[in-house]
Amino acid sequence: MPNNPNPSRTVPVVAAILAIAATYGFFLLFGEFALLELAKPLFGGERALRPLLAVLGAGGVAGSLLAAWRFDLRRFRGALAGGFAACAVSAAVSLSGGRPGLWFAAGATGLSLGWTTVTLSAGLRAVAGARRLGLWCGLGTGLAYAVGNLPAVFEATPQAQAAIALGFTFVGILAAGRMQPEVVGAVEASDGERRDWLVWGAIFLALVWLDSAGFYILQHTPELRAQTWSGPLILYGNALTHLLSAVVAGCALDARRLGGTAFVALVFLGVADLLLGQGAGGFAGTRMLYTIGVSAYSVALVHYPAFGARPWVVAGIFSVAGWLGSALGIGMVQDLHAIPEWFIALAGVVVFGALAVRSRQLRRSEAVLTVGVAALCLGPRMVSAEDATVALGREVYIAEGCINCHSQYVRPGVLQEVLWWGPARPLAANLAETPPLIGLRRQGPDLMNVGNRRSPDWQRLHLIAPRTVSPGSRMPGYAHLFRAGDRRGEALVAYLGELGAETMAVRRQQIAGWKPAAEAMLAPFNGPAARQQFVRLCASCHGPEFRGDGMLAGQLALKPPDFTREAWRQVRADEPDRVLALTRIIKFGVPGTPMAGREYLDDATAVMLARHVEALSRGQRAR
Amino acid sequence: MNPAPKPGTQAEVARVLARHALGWLVAANAVGVLLAVLLLWPDLNDELLGSLTYGRWLPLHLDWQLYGWCALPLVGVLLAWCLDARQLGAVAHTRVVLGAWSLALALGGLAWLGGVTSGKMFLEWHDWARPLLPAAMTLLWTVLAAHVWWRRDELGGGTKAARVLALLAFALVPAALYWSAGREVYPSVNPDSGGATGARLLGSTLGIVAIYGFIAEVLGVSRPGRRGWFWGYFVFSVAVCAGIEHGNASHHEVLQVVGLATLLGWLPLAWLYFRGGIGAPTARRWWGAAFAWWAALVGAGLWTFLPGVSERLKFTNGMVAHAHLAMAGLVTSANLAVLVELRALYAPRGFWLWQAACVAQVAVLLALGWLETGHAAELFLSEPWTQAIYAARLAAGVAMLLASVLWWRGISGREEARHDDAE
Repeated sequence: MPNNPNPSRTVPVVAAILAIAATYGFFLLFGEFALLELAKPLFGGERALRPLLAVLGAGGVAGSLLAAWRFDLRRFRGALAGGFAACAVSAAVSLSGGRPGLWFAAGATGLSLGWTTVTLSAGLRAVAGARRLGLWCGLGTGLAYAVGNLPAVFEATPQAQAAIALGFTFVGILAAGRMQPEVVGAVEASDGERRDWLVWGAIFLALVWLDSAGFYILQHTPELRAQTWSGPLILYGNALTHLLSAVVAGCALDARRLGGTAFVALVFLGVADLLLGQGAGGFAGTRMLYTIGVSAYSVALVHYPAFGARPWVVAGIFSVAGWLGSALGIGMVQDLHAIPEWFIALAGVVVFGALAVRSRQLRRSEAVLTVGVAALCLGPRMVSAEDATVALGREVYIAEGCINCHSQYVRPGVLQEVLWWGPARPLAANLAETPPLIGLRRQGPDLMNVGNRRSPDWQRLHLIAPRTVSPGSRMPGYAHLFRAGDRRGEALVAYLGELGAETMAVRRQQIAGWKPAAEAMLAPFNGPAARQQFVRLCASCHGPEFRGDGMLAGQLALKPPDFTREAWRQVRADEPDRVLALTRIIKFGVPGTPMAGREYLDDATAVMLARHVEALSRGQRAR
Repeated sequence: MNPAPKPGTQAEVARVLARHALGWLVAANAVGVLLAVLLLWPDLNDELLGSLTYGRWLPLHLDWQLYGWCALPLVGVLLAWCLDARQLGAVAHTRVVLGAWSLALALGGLAWLGGVTSGKMFLEWHDWARPLLPAAMTLLWTVLAAHVWWRRDELGGGTKAARVLALLAFALVPAALYWSAGREVYPSVNPDSGGATGARLLGSTLGIVAIYGFIAEVLGVSRPGRRGWFWGYFVFSVAVCAGIEHGNASHHEVLQVVGLATLLGWLPLAWLYFRGGIGAPTARRWWGAAFAWWAALVGAGLWTFLPGVSERLKFTNGMVAHAHLAMAGLVTSANLAVLVELRALYAPRGFWLWQAACVAQVAVLLALGWLETGHAAELFLSEPWTQAIYAARLAAGVAMLLASVLWWRGISGREEARHDDAE
């Protein structure tokens, strides 16, 4: 193996940074996203991917061990380029489609990534030197995260992401060719700086576990995903945060602050996971903590084994912490549907305990600073008045036993249910709540999206005196919650208003696309029956003659108009089918206004009522 | 030298046990009647109960039935199995254990009425109330373990080992209950129904099988020649349960349905296993009723899980009917038989009153559940025919309450119990 006499290390260092970025980028973009997204439709959903993930993980461990066994610094460039080439083949095969191709791609991706990661890490110090190794690792890792978070990359189709990942492998192959190791002997001598790799294996295992669990929750909870990873502004912000925090972490590692870096990552990831458990993904602090925590430990995970440059230690760290930690984190959330607080505490104990073994690794000032930053992020979250009211409302909902009569689950395959109380939402979103309030029995309607079909005004009236707005309801009154000085009533109204509020647009589309059955439209009109139903169901707000003078009208923020004099608010003058438009309003109400629907009415009754109010309005005006 | 067993100890223990168990049945049934009244006339909530509304009372009905009436006769079986009747304090120990258990249930009731609840049905233990029942269970375990220790010279190798193994397994129960009541813990969910998966239903039913199989062994009412078949099929069923998907699997997945269908094998097996050695003649008809309800429960459980049927019945009164079938039908009949076998009751009256009321309760709720989806407006608007069904349900509930009061009054007197024990 020739020693490179060239004193300038710029080219190998830049190549090393690019190789790190290519490896990490390929793992993030292809291994964690594109491969699984390509497989989902063919394997029939998330849980069916478990065997595929198992093959990927097993391949990763095998590839890591194989690389450690075959590692030879004299063949470093060829081995690394070969690893990238194998990554390229696996990505290309995944694009060919079909289940066999994906099985092959999963196994090959694991093997080739395991090989490439261990080979690169074990040879990195020989190429880039030890003095600034942290910074180079930080730059490479940060670049990978930053590119992966660019909107064009992040929001691309799985096929496009696989193609981009293919591009990463070409960058890797080119970079490998320029990564000439320096003095082999010097590298081997560096083993004198021995560290307790078992201790660090435990620390990295805990951190990867925390990260994978949090990542899975974010990825599979549509609301959290929308809040955390959507929109160019958020994505660019994430990319920049990743890059900066990775560079800072790299500098800290060069200053021998490995313990401090791990501590920062632990506290930030732990607090982010706690906040995610409370559904606080929209809070900017959660995003920042998660992003910084991930970047910090990722750089440490690359730097620690690379600094030691011992192939078997590298393979051990990546096998146990990397592949096993990911599998355990994902598996835990798939089974428990949440990150238990006891687990976060346990991870804290593991990392603290391990750091205590090596007490020199953590300075008190670092610990105080980190906890302070986390508390600053937690603090505003705790005192947000609106969130606190909604949270109190949820507690009131639980305390009053609302779950004993109301479900919060729209069954996606039951069309009537989706129509009445929809839209459906993924089960994972329900299970991410603590506790999920799915319920067992419906004495009243489902409330999963009640915020998109009942206004706060209506809810307040209904809770205080249910049968005034909902004749025949079996619900008890909750006027006592609204007594002076009692916040519970308004909190419950706020909570109910939040349920499904984000689905308002979808709900409007649903309503606009609905038509009653043809026979209901053609049925003969029964005037007395229609009037009887109108008085029973509508008169409390609209008045018996449709003049907007019902006994509850004065208590509504938007008072019902006198339809015998005023124009329709929700039905256009040139509406081709006024009865159809009115039927929709009677059945589904007007989302965002106090006008509540009667979803449970059969089509014939709804059409009959529509004809009645149409006639009332027309007749009175004619007079 | 071993002292002789104190006369009347076992019967006195059974008598104390029956007072607690049937006391909780009466209390839970009374709350059930109150709930049925509130569903019919919801204005009574405001007029009579103020802030103690329907939703706050329901956990009392559910949890007092489950942890009071359903569980305590099984505790009685454990006491009969482990208690050392030679100990002077055996009855006192029983009183302390059952007193602690009942105190936990009473305090739990107060907690739920006060709005302290986890929000998880049948696992409402929350906040300060969360450790109450696990603590009572731990006390029970301690007493059982102490008595087995005191009897170690009397018990043979095999019987001692069986008790030690059982106690080791039971030691996990308090912690498991505490853990599972946590809000962060939630079982797998069928994504197409929002309810239990096939694996969960199979697992919970196998739990019932294991409990009653164990009771049969302890009470000596099993037929020894069928034991191999019973426990062999149990091992097979557990293997099936372990083999099918445990995650959020749909009832449209064939293996979930097939796995649940293996429960049908228990219909002949349970019959063959139990019919051999029933001890007390007056227990016979209760065991018979329990088998009939068991058959109905297994059949209905499978039927309501099938695609098409599940879509129609889930979230309706049909599932309430299913719960009554299990707890009011199967468990109550079996527990009455157990109390008779334990000599806590001699010949409980009101057999046909309870059975007829239970059939009526299940039938009207199932009928309403079946019609509910197509007639939601009538149900939500309290149309007369739906009120009539709820009124029939109330009448059935009152009859069941009366029957439970009869049983409570029929608990063997102290002198009768001593006489029986001496015999």
